[in-house]
Amino acid sequence: MSLVNFTTREITCKIVYYGPGRSGKTCNLRYIYGKVPEERRGKMVSLATEAERTLFFDFLPLELGTISGFATRFQLYTVPGQVYYNATRKLVLQGADGVVFVADSQARQLDENIESLQNLQANLIDQEVDIRTLPLVLQYNKQDLPADLILSPHELDEALNFRELKSFAANALKGNGVFETLKGVSELVLRKLSEETPV
Amino acid sequence: MTVTRVLEPWMMEPLERFVSEADARLTLIMTPAGQVLAQYGFTRAVDVMSAAALGAAIASSTQEMAGLLGERNFKALNHQGVRHGIFLAEMENPRGRLLALVVYGPETLAGLVQLFFEELARDLEQACPNVKPTEPVLSADFERELNNSLASLFGR
Repeated sequence: MSLVNFTTREITCKIVYYGPGRSGKTCNLRYIYGKVPEERRGKMVSLATEAERTLFFDFLPLELGTISGFATRFQLYTVPGQVYYNATRKLVLQGADGVVFVADSQARQLDENIESLQNLQANLIDQEVDIRTLPLVLQYNKQDLPADLILSPHELDEALNFRELKSFAANALKGNGVFETLKGVSELVLRKLSEETPV
Repeated sequence: MTVTRVLEPWMMEPLERFVSEADARLTLIMTPAGQVLAQYGFTRAVDVMSAAALGAAIASSTQEMAGLLGERNFKALNHQGVRHGIFLAEMENPRGRLLALVVYGPETLAGLVQLFFEELARDLEQACPNVKPTEPVLSADFERELNNSLASLFGR
């Protein structure tokens, strides 16, 4: 859950990028890392295999700035997408304030997307978190690939987005949709925080 | 200048006593999810978050390993290097399970850090008030400030 320091007026929120292997979760963080001024980000920590597949998580701390008089920080995490790393995925998911589900838009990856979304739900249930109350957005990555290889955002909405969540078409490699996705989940996380402690 | 920061005032005295007695260079007290509740010795907030994320990850994976081996938990973990050692341990507190990550140098001993950590856990348990403070957080129109912050973050 978000951490609010009333003494120093600071808010810290944890956002987790979830999704199947090679859908582009790490790519999102790398793009953000490359775009954000150095004084407003920490080191990007990547616990990865030699082949650069995420083994445990990637981590990027960001200084968002002052919102409602609170210095606001976001901790961005990715989980390992590969199926056999579920134990570590669960650990990273602990205490998440918001989740970005990064789906791979390639038509042949649809089953992996569905499986990963179901896995997210199962892991949240394990942690007694109701997915319906958790700030969650969908990102349909790799929309830059040839049209005959991918599903459109509308088709992906039909297949994955039963709850009519906010969804964003993206090409994380080039950065298209990365900012919009982060903005989308940030709004939901802070909105929930605002509702939990009404003014 | 070395900075000590705490989320709630009751943590300050036990933390300062621990740092002084154990001669710790850096100390973090955090939740199992890696959210920092108190800190000593770090200067950049983003460095604190990285250290906390890694510490929480080590603690979580160690706990999972304990589960696989049929142990309830491994309570503390110690790595000693040439110039620094790290001590990572959990404690029970009325606010829930907490983790402490301590970085120490050759000016102290791992045993002393462990000894004073146990005292720290007791002190924090005794100092913890029953009621968690609740105050209003965000104003209703926070979106504009959020949008401005994100736009400046991405140079837009």
